[in-house]
Amino acid sequence: MLNIGKVLEELKESPYEEIVIRAPHCGVVRFEPLEPGARVSGASGQWKEKPGTCIAVIERERNKRPIESVDKGELVAVNRNLEGTFVEAQTPLATIRHFLSKDEVLKIILQKALYLFCAPERAKYYFIPEVEKNIQASGSKSVKVHDGLELFIMSRMKREAPLAYSGPGGVIYAKYFERNENIDAGKPLIGVCPESQLPLIEDVVLRVQTEWEERE
Amino acid sequence: MQNSSHKVLVANRGEIAIRIVQACRMLGLDFVCVYTAEDEQSGHVRLAKETGGEKSLYRVSSYHDANEILAVADAAQATAIHPGYGFFAEDFRFARRVTQRERGLIFIGPSWRVIRELGDKINTKRLARSLGVPTVPGSDKPIYDEMEAEEVARSLFEFQKQCGTEQPTVLIKASAGGGGMGIEEVYDIDLFRSVYRRIRNYALRQFKDEGVLIEQRIRDFNHLEVQIVSDRSGQNPVHFGTRNCSIQSTGLQKRVEVAPGFDPSSLPYSFDAAQVLTDITEHSLALAREVRYDNVGTWEWIVARNGRPFLMEVNTRIQVENGVSAAIARIRGKRGVNLIAEQIRIGLGEPLGYTQEDITFEGLGIEYRIIAEDPTNRFTPSSGRIERFSWKEEPWLSMHTHVPTDAAYDIPTEFDPNLALGIVWGENLSQAQERGMDFLDHLTLDGVDSAGAPLKTNVGFLREKTARILQF
Amino acid sequence: MDIEKKLSFLKERLTYICDIFAGNHQEHIRILEHKVEEFSQRRESLDLQERIEAITAIEELFDFTERRLEEDLSSMDKVRIVRHPQRICLRDILENVYDNYTEIGGQKNKSIDPSMLIARAYVTRRHRGKTHHQSVMVIGQEKGHGEDFRNGGSVKPWGNARALQYMKVAETENIPIHTYIFTPGAYPVEDYPGAAQQIARNLYEMAALKVPVIAVFSEGGSGGAEAIGLADRRLMLSHGYYSVISPEGAAAIEGRLRRGERATPELIARCAEQLKITAQDNLRLGYIDKIVEEPPLGARPYHYEFFRNLRREVIRATDDVVLSTRAFAPLRARAARPDKSGEYDAEKFVVRWEVNGGAAEKLLLLRHEKFNKYSRGKCIDPRSVFKRMRQGVSGVVTDAYNTVKHDILGKPKKRIVSAVEEVEAETRVLFDGITGPFRKALCALGSKSSKAPAATEEALTALSDWEDGQRNGSWNYISPRAKEDRAVTCPNAKKQGCMDMWAPDLYGEFAGVCSNCGHHFPMEYKWFLWNVFDPNSVVEFNQEIEAGNPLEFENFDQRLIQAKEKTGLKSGCMTVDAAIQGTKLVAAILIADFRGGSVGVAEGEKFLLAVERAQKKRQPFLAYVHGTAGIRIQEGTNGVIQMPRCTMAVRRYLDAGGLYLVVYDTNSYAGPVASFLGCSPYQFAIRSSNVGFAGPGVIKETTGIDVPPNYQGAFKALSRGHIQGVWDRRELRENLNQALMTMGGRNLYYR
Repeated sequence: MLNIGKVLEELKESPYEEIVIRAPHCGVVRFEPLEPGARVSGASGQWKEKPGTCIAVIERERNKRPIESVDKGELVAVNRNLEGTFVEAQTPLATIRHFLSKDEVLKIILQKALYLFCAPERAKYYFIPEVEKNIQASGSKSVKVHDGLELFIMSRMKREAPLAYSGPGGVIYAKYFERNENIDAGKPLIGVCPESQLPLIEDVVLRVQTEWEERE
Repeated sequence: MQNSSHKVLVANRGEIAIRIVQACRMLGLDFVCVYTAEDEQSGHVRLAKETGGEKSLYRVSSYHDANEILAVADAAQATAIHPGYGFFAEDFRFARRVTQRERGLIFIGPSWRVIRELGDKINTKRLARSLGVPTVPGSDKPIYDEMEAEEVARSLFEFQKQCGTEQPTVLIKASAGGGGMGIEEVYDIDLFRSVYRRIRNYALRQFKDEGVLIEQRIRDFNHLEVQIVSDRSGQNPVHFGTRNCSIQSTGLQKRVEVAPGFDPSSLPYSFDAAQVLTDITEHSLALAREVRYDNVGTWEWIVARNGRPFLMEVNTRIQVENGVSAAIARIRGKRGVNLIAEQIRIGLGEPLGYTQEDITFEGLGIEYRIIAEDPTNRFTPSSGRIERFSWKEEPWLSMHTHVPTDAAYDIPTEFDPNLALGIVWGENLSQAQERGMDFLDHLTLDGVDSAGAPLKTNVGFLREKTARILQF
Repeated sequence: MDIEKKLSFLKERLTYICDIFAGNHQEHIRILEHKVEEFSQRRESLDLQERIEAITAIEELFDFTERRLEEDLSSMDKVRIVRHPQRICLRDILENVYDNYTEIGGQKNKSIDPSMLIARAYVTRRHRGKTHHQSVMVIGQEKGHGEDFRNGGSVKPWGNARALQYMKVAETENIPIHTYIFTPGAYPVEDYPGAAQQIARNLYEMAALKVPVIAVFSEGGSGGAEAIGLADRRLMLSHGYYSVISPEGAAAIEGRLRRGERATPELIARCAEQLKITAQDNLRLGYIDKIVEEPPLGARPYHYEFFRNLRREVIRATDDVVLSTRAFAPLRARAARPDKSGEYDAEKFVVRWEVNGGAAEKLLLLRHEKFNKYSRGKCIDPRSVFKRMRQGVSGVVTDAYNTVKHDILGKPKKRIVSAVEEVEAETRVLFDGITGPFRKALCALGSKSSKAPAATEEALTALSDWEDGQRNGSWNYISPRAKEDRAVTCPNAKKQGCMDMWAPDLYGEFAGVCSNCGHHFPMEYKWFLWNVFDPNSVVEFNQEIEAGNPLEFENFDQRLIQAKEKTGLKSGCMTVDAAIQGTKLVAAILIADFRGGSVGVAEGEKFLLAVERAQKKRQPFLAYVHGTAGIRIQEGTNGVIQMPRCTMAVRRYLDAGGLYLVVYDTNSYAGPVASFLGCSPYQFAIRSSNVGFAGPGVIKETTGIDVPPNYQGAFKALSRGHIQGVWDRRELRENLNQALMTMGGRNLYYR
């Protein structure tokens, strides 16, 4: 059985992750006057309607696009040597140290505690329409799965194929893929919790909620 | 090439990108490649790294994003863009933007007006009819009146009966539709009205236009192509012969292409095959002259079992199978024709420099498309890792591939599934078939798919089809 | 009276005075404070007589000071009076003005909307020894002396809906309606049915309510006031205000403040002065009929004399309205005659308040004429007298509500029309009978003749004749933005993965529509003008009517000049004769580029004239709202009054059998949507447009609620039932044609 206490301790020792902000596309980059150490934030508001801190502006075909921080944290590095130059897509522009929030810690622990059903190959994945509808309506936890249940549509090279779930029965506790996103083979698609273990998982959630101190 | 101060941006990937780079080098032109993070290992990236000069390789977010291509073109000081095939090849808006932007560039392909004109199928059909070029029987304009529609359908059934067609079929298409949406077949005139109304209502809902096209559905045909080349003057188009692309997957994707389109010297046909080839070539040239076609292009034809040809559409781009036409063509008797190099040369404004009399044809060419797929299971593509890939070099063989032979390669999931093109040349049909089998026998393509099983390929399918090449 | 009680009462009066003047007139206040303080310390040492004398002296000092301060009241002081919890509220009026009443459908906070109070009440009059109870429906906002659940008199859409319901009840029961306006403004939520939509419905219905309506304004906050303010007599309390916007709101706009910033008190006071919001200002402007005097520094619940005065005024106003509808002139003259004392004695004179038949028609006629006259001459109108006469209004007003005339003229015409239709139908059957088989025979002949295979093939493969009627991506008007070589990012790019588009593609060929997600970028109004109407069919009229600055609002002349220079227009409303696929119509276009498409007198006047033109010409009327930010605040109540005024014109047009279509583009908010636009039965929005009452900033400011993005999006407005469809800009012409063919009233010529 998973030792939650131990995992929590490990996470507490290095409670942050480094996020690299990259150029979303080619263009000439200009940095905002932010120095390492500055606090930045991701999109916020109830509907994520307030944009995150602007770190740089990239201009392509006379069109300027702000590059915003994706999460809150501390700016640890800015590649100022790129100021005013043409950069290629995916070029690292800045690094942010982000302290893990309760939700993120929970996600990490759950990935260890749940049964993970993984992508058999690199492709885009969707739930079959009926399941998608259920999830839209009442959340993923409302969906019970069992071995052999046709659950996904796998889409690659413009072809689609059904994909059945295999593993223990239970409810879909977590979903790890987005529409239109390519998932590498072996990456988890969903985390399934057998119904018998639900109380245990709820306990994990509770422990994280109470024990994890969020830091700015 | 006389003026070699140009720099060509290759707005494509994989096999065609490699061939464009090679053509540029042959012409002494500078080039710049683009690639996405997924394609880091792809052959065109390696080639650009090895042979490119300064500013010859840029990572972009997507091959589909015109803004990326143009931003890189400016940053790399490119003067022309080669779209390859797919992506922007037949996108008249892209061609228009490339040439009309403030820092204008050359679009290596037909001018945007030509692309737009021939990109519209109704327009192409009407153009063809105005020149007496044969087209599929049926309407050449959207029909809005039920009586008129039924009249056309009735005539079509009658016509097919007269022609002895086994199962006369009429197609009803929403004229504003495309991509297989809003198309239905009718087998019986008594069922016509209900199907017509269904399509009309669908079209009205979907496209706000209730116009429909009504055509004969032709079954049992061969798919032929005419390769046209014309310089920027648009006045003296030449052809580089015909191709037969009738061997296809269940999804109607080409798998084997043969040049020329028929071989009456060694195979029996129920019609005058040589005359058909001449006819479709002449018709194609006539249409090219009419629209002042000004780059390379392919005129797609279908030839029915009775030998009647019908013009289907014009592809305003270089095609995958250009190499098989080049393999049998000689300019002033010289082999080594490279249609991509020709395309670039005339695209940049050089005159063609030869006439139809200078072009001759010799022997027979077969192009095999080698793909990781399962022909026994509806040609389902397999993804996975290629571990060994090799073939036996021959003087009569040219191989085009972006897959490395010295390292393992993960097949990317996003794009066209072609792994390699093998072009085999023979003096005649039987020699070409022999060499084709020889090539396939010595081809090694091993790997594992994502489930850990051996990688499935279409090599067996290609072998099986080789014997039946060019037979109607 | 108990000295202690009097003392505490005086303390309350003092607090009130302090509050009203918010730090001003300190010298007077300090004296009063000192006196009260001194007395409360010293009163133990005084005997009763001395105490009474002392407190009477202080009371007199209070009276004196209040009278003295009354003379210096600023506009902002009056705003504070009106907002003060001690100010009279509707329940005080029900207690003191009427003889008996029952609240309808709500007790305290147990009500669908406690800020809207409805009561059945009666006044009792005695005449020749007989007692008459005369019923009225009392409707108004209740502030409840600051009770939380009353929401400050800010009424939610369902509150206004209930008010409308009981107005209709009053109409059924044939009793007058007395409305009392105590609102800082409507509560700007878009929950079903949406603030703007409900107010528009109220205005539309009130425009033809067949019972007398008397409105009394205490706090008349813009749209919220109009929801129950369209009345035959409009009285105003002398210390009330009636305004297009709160002074704070105006200051925020004038000072160009961002969300969360506060305007200085000086700026707010200056705005309050300039907006001309007091009763005296509004009487001068002509938007109220009479002022009801209040005691110095405003009426509070203990001012019984004030209530008696108010009672007299509302009864008299009701009598006046009723009598004005009576055909019998001598009765009217007698009623108007004052008694011996020179006062009109409302208590002794009894006028029956029912309005029946012809009188109801007359009532409507007078109401419409009254509002039609409002704000005339408040914009720059250089049209010749002759032209104005020709386009004069009264004729149209009379036409619409004079059923007698209508019947005489209307019926025979209709009969002729239907006769023609019958004949046509007959012939058609006849014709079909002949042509049907005939055509079949022809077809048979045709197919027989084409038996030769070559001919069949020829027919199936030869080029046919075809005029390509489609635009093929080319438009008559091309935006200047289509000439810039640049990329443009779609606002949905993150969610939908739209790629940047090239401006010439986007603003040219794509008509400003994202080719991936269908987002509609705002386009110039000219795009609509030249791509929707038939080419060469557009003829502008009344272009000489020009937006002015009726209140001489400071710096506004300059800004108007700038707007006129920028756009080359004289106002934010363009009115044209035009045609769509041959159907002639009249159109009014509210142009966002001209001061946000805000509506002032000139815009309202042009809109109204256009509606009347459509009515006269019996053509459909189209309002294309390229964008509107609301009523132009710098014109104060001159602007607000366009809400009922134009709605009434629309009502006349619709009652006369017209077809009124509204198309919203970009952003349409506030007053115009809550009145003459929102009342159309056929409203449509262009995709990606926003339609609503208040923008998210204003909602946050007034209610503290964060609204989700896209709260006022076209599809949300559709789900709420405000609009009837969402259209793609590229199909606008076809959709409008479709609408013209399938909708509309009986009196359109083209049918």
